[in-house]
Amino acid sequence: MKDMVLKKVEKIVRRHGFDDISVSMENGVVYFNGSVPSVEDFVQIGLAAGKIKTVRGVVNNLYYPGRKKKKKKQGMEEKIGAADIVIVGGGITGCFIARELSRYDLNIILVEKAEDVATGATKANNAMVHTGIGEYMGTLKQKLCIEGHLMYEKVANELHVPYKKCGMWIITTKHTLKHYKIPSFIADFISKRIIPFIVLRRGKKLGIPMQSVNRRELLEQEPNVTGKALAAVYSPTYGVTCPYHLTVALAENAMENGVKIMLNSEVTDIVTGDGIVKSVITTKGTIDTNFVVNAAGLYADEIADMAGAREYTIHPKKGSTLIFDKEYGNYINHSMSLLKFPRTEHYKGGGIMLTVDGNIQWGPTMESPSRMEDKSVASDDIEQIFRHFSLLTPDFPKNVIIAYFAGLRAATFTEDFFIRSSERVKGFVHAAGIQSPGLAASPAVAKMVLSILKDEGLEMRENKNFNPYRKKPVIFRELSNGEKEKLIEQNPLYGKIVCRCEQVTEGEVVDVIHSPVPALNVDAVKRRTRAGMGRCQGAFCLPRIARIISRETGVPMEEIVKNSEHSNLFVGKAKCLLGEGDDES
Amino acid sequence: MRNEFTCIECPLGCAITAEKKGDEITVTGNRCARGKKYVIQEMTDPRRTLTTTVFVENGIHSLLPVRSDGKIPRDAMGRCVRELSKIKAKTPVKCGDVIAANTGGTGVAIIASRDMVKK
Amino acid sequence: MKAEVVVIGGGPAGLAAALKASEHADVMLLEREDELGGILPQCIHDGFGNFIFNEMMTGPEYAQHFIDGVKKSDIDVRLETAVLEIGMDRKIVATNPAGIMEIEARAIVLAMGCRERTRNQILIPGTRPAGIYTAGTAQRLINIEGVMPGRKIVMLGSGDVGLIMARRFALEGAEVEGVYELLPKPGGLTRNIVQCLDDYDIPLHLSHTITDIKGKERVEGVTIARVDESMSPIKETERFIPCDCLILAVGLIPENELSKQVGIAIDKRTGGPFVDEHMETSVPGIFACGNVAHVHDLVDDVTLASEIAGTYAGKYAAGKIEEAGRVNITAGKNVRYVVPQFLRGLDMDSITFYFRVKEESEDVNIVISDGDRIIFEKREMVVKPPEMVKVVMPSSLLANTGGEVRIDVEGKYEK
Repeated sequence: MKDMVLKKVEKIVRRHGFDDISVSMENGVVYFNGSVPSVEDFVQIGLAAGKIKTVRGVVNNLYYPGRKKKKKKQGMEEKIGAADIVIVGGGITGCFIARELSRYDLNIILVEKAEDVATGATKANNAMVHTGIGEYMGTLKQKLCIEGHLMYEKVANELHVPYKKCGMWIITTKHTLKHYKIPSFIADFISKRIIPFIVLRRGKKLGIPMQSVNRRELLEQEPNVTGKALAAVYSPTYGVTCPYHLTVALAENAMENGVKIMLNSEVTDIVTGDGIVKSVITTKGTIDTNFVVNAAGLYADEIADMAGAREYTIHPKKGSTLIFDKEYGNYINHSMSLLKFPRTEHYKGGGIMLTVDGNIQWGPTMESPSRMEDKSVASDDIEQIFRHFSLLTPDFPKNVIIAYFAGLRAATFTEDFFIRSSERVKGFVHAAGIQSPGLAASPAVAKMVLSILKDEGLEMRENKNFNPYRKKPVIFRELSNGEKEKLIEQNPLYGKIVCRCEQVTEGEVVDVIHSPVPALNVDAVKRRTRAGMGRCQGAFCLPRIARIISRETGVPMEEIVKNSEHSNLFVGKAKCLLGEGDDES
Repeated sequence: MRNEFTCIECPLGCAITAEKKGDEITVTGNRCARGKKYVIQEMTDPRRTLTTTVFVENGIHSLLPVRSDGKIPRDAMGRCVRELSKIKAKTPVKCGDVIAANTGGTGVAIIASRDMVKK
Repeated sequence: MKAEVVVIGGGPAGLAAALKASEHADVMLLEREDELGGILPQCIHDGFGNFIFNEMMTGPEYAQHFIDGVKKSDIDVRLETAVLEIGMDRKIVATNPAGIMEIEARAIVLAMGCRERTRNQILIPGTRPAGIYTAGTAQRLINIEGVMPGRKIVMLGSGDVGLIMARRFALEGAEVEGVYELLPKPGGLTRNIVQCLDDYDIPLHLSHTITDIKGKERVEGVTIARVDESMSPIKETERFIPCDCLILAVGLIPENELSKQVGIAIDKRTGGPFVDEHMETSVPGIFACGNVAHVHDLVDDVTLASEIAGTYAGKYAAGKIEEAGRVNITAGKNVRYVVPQFLRGLDMDSITFYFRVKEESEDVNIVISDGDRIIFEKREMVVKPPEMVKVVMPSSLLANTGGEVRIDVEGKYEK
């Protein structure tokens, strides 16, 4: 079997015509070594091997021009504690796992290298809680997406995190089959009848409720949708949430149930011996443990490498998203996506959505290959989104855009989740390659990881004090006048508006600065309170938010950062640049 | 010696060229006499109003806006600004109070641009 | 609680309106900051009051004059008070540290000012590091908060706000690498080009824009490029400028979120409400003045229009207004917009029209006509888009018009 697969891979390599590639295989994992002329080749070969059915993982060590060697960081040998289990990574995956594990009587430490949770792919996620209808059949991500989606309402209610069943239109238009030069009456027929039928059938097979509507019905319910629409399938259970709110809520609930979360703590090495995990070395100290969950997102392959458990390579896929003014929030009634064939990576997923806060969101794009640290948005990305999604709502006033951003998805070359215990190191569990539908799948991913940990021998006794509920945070703008009055009576800071676009009060800002996972910089405050997410994008409130952070934390105003350690907002106090100088003006 | 000027006396903004021959200055490009006067002033003794801030103790803000009480030589602005960066005003301040007397040796005072009460 | 006139915003517009309104009715002034003045406390440069007081005052000095007046008056000032909503029948809900206020007002003056156009709205590609500020925010940081936004600055936009800030940065010891302007003509007053750029040897690059921002955590540099006639960047002219701070002075937008809530008709050309000669909007009893109505160049004009708004808001609250037939004002040849957009009654001695031209021109004739009949003419030496034009005419000339009055700017135009 292995020889058959190896032969297939070697054929792929030969087809590409590169002679500096060596291939080997072990335990279902393909290893590439050598070099290729470009990053495109690097990705293509990896993906081609990953497509082979019995290939579990692809470790792609091919060098390409510009590929950076991962710098080894210096950790602290000093032992700072012991844990039953260490979770590496504080995104939606790691925090969900932490919260679920806290149901058991365990000493759990989550280590996150950045200054806050959810700073990686989670932060740039487009917030859709997919039903699973759009995933490739038979994949792990499809299975976990369908499962996870059904678990969402419960956890959102327990944690007081916004979750709306916004519904989703899957729409066919005159553009659906435009790529294929077939006569329009055939294309229309396929788009009106065949494609919706296939979608409905798939939904039925997977147990996902869907309804088919004709053009007239669609236009009645969505007056602003394009006149070129032909048919649609409506998915009523499609949901939308707020990815960073959810991640913060999970982290805080986990902490309340005993989990220790270490921020600004980067894992630099993992010590193993006798085939088991012995300890995790971080920049803040060493933790003795026998169990590690690798939820390190873009860096999961590096973490796996440290433990000698590397079975995949992560290649990033950038996605850009556009956000539009809330004023147009009622332009559509439900989210919508356009079915366009061929289904290249560019046209998979994404759509026009309503966020939980009432903004319209277009995107995301899917760009491959992407560079590891590159989250810039190019004018082509913006153009592409404008072009593609205008096909759904051609008259939408695109000039009411208020923000755009990009994130990197952590993808494996098998383009599926990699969730399993390591073949080589006992106690090391991978929760890697979590790209779309990682957000929707997260409750199921956590459940799966827990069951794997049990099989690996982690003793899981029930934590009798586990409390699944998190206290509802104060969201001033959502309260009635009477509730606002009561709140201000208790604490006058809730009566002082600091962000006028989103009506955020000083009281809420102070709350998040002192919360269990504290917001100590402007972006962390922004993600939790929405201060700075409105149409003025912080022009008015940034000085005030920075001032409040300074006051509440004691950090001098001139040292306040935007997000990470060196993202200083200011270069110093006023007049700090007026040196002695010469006397010419 | 700079001899290309944009007159700022009126919205026309004439582009004026000046030539200095000995003690005489001739100007071309101006459409009225104010332009000539402006350019001669700029060439012999260009002056500006200085507006900046100084640190203030115990105020509701940490900075007090100030202005020069009259125009100071343009070329003394840098020196004055550096001098002013080292002083600290005291509250309470009334709009017009003298904050620094002879700034940068110009003979012009720097005065407060607003009231500021003690915190 | 009930109130006669409620003025929303304590900047130059609100202060002037409140003072005039208080001559006719009781006034409550709501301001969300903890001091009055609006944007003026951070505008420490001079150039204010040249018209009205014949003095070149600084922003704070100009504000002080009106703040002193308000202190001496009976105006009920509520600081740290933000309006959350305005409902039908002029019911205002506001919040401050003392609690929620629900106010039934007889007349309202909207004076909320404007906000700045953001990087995102002009779609500059690149990363999103620290060190990108709009000029107004940078002004607040330097002049009030006491922190320096950067040490090597690139400025996009040559409007007055940008020019003033270029000088401010230079005076605080920063290096201003250059000011880049999309249009082929500068956006600000010539006086500012001379005193803010020329004086400090700061180069002005017209017909340029920014095509990329680099920097992971903090700005590391920007790419600038020249643009063609359709304002598209010319790729071959791209040049990378290392810097640590990008300042954007790319326009002001009247802040009318509250106005839209209460159904006031908004003029797309100004971004503000349609107003008549009393500065009354399409909703009776609600007036708008200052930058919330349209973006002004000079605060003196804000004061004059706001005094009218305040006077009539006060009269309205006191029940002293009579309405006559409506006259629409049309923006004609080379006129981008005119405020007021319509007239309701001619009880004022004179009417002031404020407008901006589309194209620069010299030696023009401003013609106000009623159908074929010319009712008023005025010559102007030069008109430019960044310099708002004012025409004051006796309102008797507007009597007996057919309901449509037009303003044209006739003259030689560049092609």
